[in-house]
Amino acid sequence: MSILEVKDVASGYGEVQILWGASLSLGQGMITSLVGANGAGKTTLLRTIMGLVKPKSGSIIFNGQDVSTLPAHNKAELGLILVPEGRQLFVQMSVEENLEMGTAPKRAKPRKDYNLERVYTIFPRLKERRAQKARTLSGGEQQMLAVARGIMADPVVLMIDEMSLGLAPVLVLDLFQNLRKLKDEGLTILLVEQNVQMALAVSDYGFVLAHGKVDLHGLSANLIDDEHVREAYLGI
Amino acid sequence: MDILTFLVDGLLIGFVYGIAAMGLTLIWGVMNVINLSHGPIIALGMFGIYFAATSLGVNPYVGVILVSFAGLLLGMLIYAIAIHRVINAPHLSTLLATFAVNMIIIGLGTTAFTTSAYNVDFSLGNISVGPVNTPTTRVIAALASVLVTGALYFFLYRTTLGKYVRAVTDNRAAAELMGIPSARILALSFGLGTMLAAIAGGLIATFFPFTILSGGAYELKSFVVGVMGGVGNPLGALIGGLILGTFEGVIPAFMPTSWVPVLEFILFVVILLVRPTGLLGAKK
Repeated sequence: MSILEVKDVASGYGEVQILWGASLSLGQGMITSLVGANGAGKTTLLRTIMGLVKPKSGSIIFNGQDVSTLPAHNKAELGLILVPEGRQLFVQMSVEENLEMGTAPKRAKPRKDYNLERVYTIFPRLKERRAQKARTLSGGEQQMLAVARGIMADPVVLMIDEMSLGLAPVLVLDLFQNLRKLKDEGLTILLVEQNVQMALAVSDYGFVLAHGKVDLHGLSANLIDDEHVREAYLGI
Repeated sequence: MDILTFLVDGLLIGFVYGIAAMGLTLIWGVMNVINLSHGPIIALGMFGIYFAATSLGVNPYVGVILVSFAGLLLGMLIYAIAIHRVINAPHLSTLLATFAVNMIIIGLGTTAFTTSAYNVDFSLGNISVGPVNTPTTRVIAALASVLVTGALYFFLYRTTLGKYVRAVTDNRAAAELMGIPSARILALSFGLGTMLAAIAGGLIATFFPFTILSGGAYELKSFVVGVMGGVGNPLGALIGGLILGTFEGVIPAFMPTSWVPVLEFILFVVILLVRPTGLLGAKK
């Protein structure tokens, strides 16, 4: 069953069109990856799904509801949460305040204590640094905080843009393993990655985006073995 | 009057300059908008307590409380009508939008009140401490300003809504992504900025006469104070206000009053040369 359905979405910035009818769907409780080369339109697709960029055409159905033109804060309220590229933390605020800002959606408030416990268990480093300002954290810690802030919103679907960017491979592996834990707890995750190998290794299903359209999709295990994918994205 | 009285008088009014500047820098800090209608809103605060006293017959300090709520609502209204549609446009657009509001308020105000001077007929006598003798209204204005600063800090750092304001200041797109309705928070922030301006105007009107054009001078002072203290930094604004107030108090004891703005702006330039982010550093 699909919890998020993106149908033929076209969008872009001003005169520049980036997406030319992109479609994808997320299976509930699965990790789905969206991979593709730099400039394929991955981030634009996420921004369009969230409502930061308005779709020119196409539709976005979340949980059975058409949310195509809903502003981002209303989508967050419904449980559609994006951990944006470049972390976008509240750098002047403490770690704990950042996490508190994650609980802005009404649905997240009654689960605040539970989720705080949950993120501190997954990321004990954040608990140690909870009084520190976000800008004083290391790159890896900042990425943990960005994901943790997303979890605090008690998401139905968590979308993570370029989690691995700029991080040491060992840290990336660790973060991906934590995502599997979250999946086991029932969370639906969309991973957007340039690190194709890693993303396909951790996900159940994958979509490959090229030139603003979904080029192919399938079970991640099959995509890894796909000749075209191996040649174009894995360099094998 | 001796020098100490000059100094105290200046210092006391400096607190009020501080909250006026806080209003200006809060708006700039949160949404990068320079509010050119700041001065006329200060003037409206002055007229607000005048009419609260003459028409409603309330104590001027009750008037200040009424004016503060009116200022909050007026600011949110101005944001919704004039600012929101240009909030993402280049600075020139927001400057022109707030300048238009400035012209509208001054135009309507001149029609309604003319440009002649008004005066709130109110006195609480003087307070004497040692050689210093100063109007009680000034002391109360200073105390009220400290209270307002404290309340602003409490709001921004201890309440959820205040933290939303800081989150939107810090990263508006991220705030929106986390479910914070950023447009409403911007409206609230603009309202808080105009609220501080209106309170400052109301407090000043308890001891100075005023016209609809009086706000202009205080707007200019707010710029100086805000930049001096560090833009977007409420405590910096208060300290900047005290410095400016002290200058204004002390300079006339030695030279003609017309030297005040000259020396103020020299001080302003020197501070910017030595510490370009202001005394306490900008919050961004």
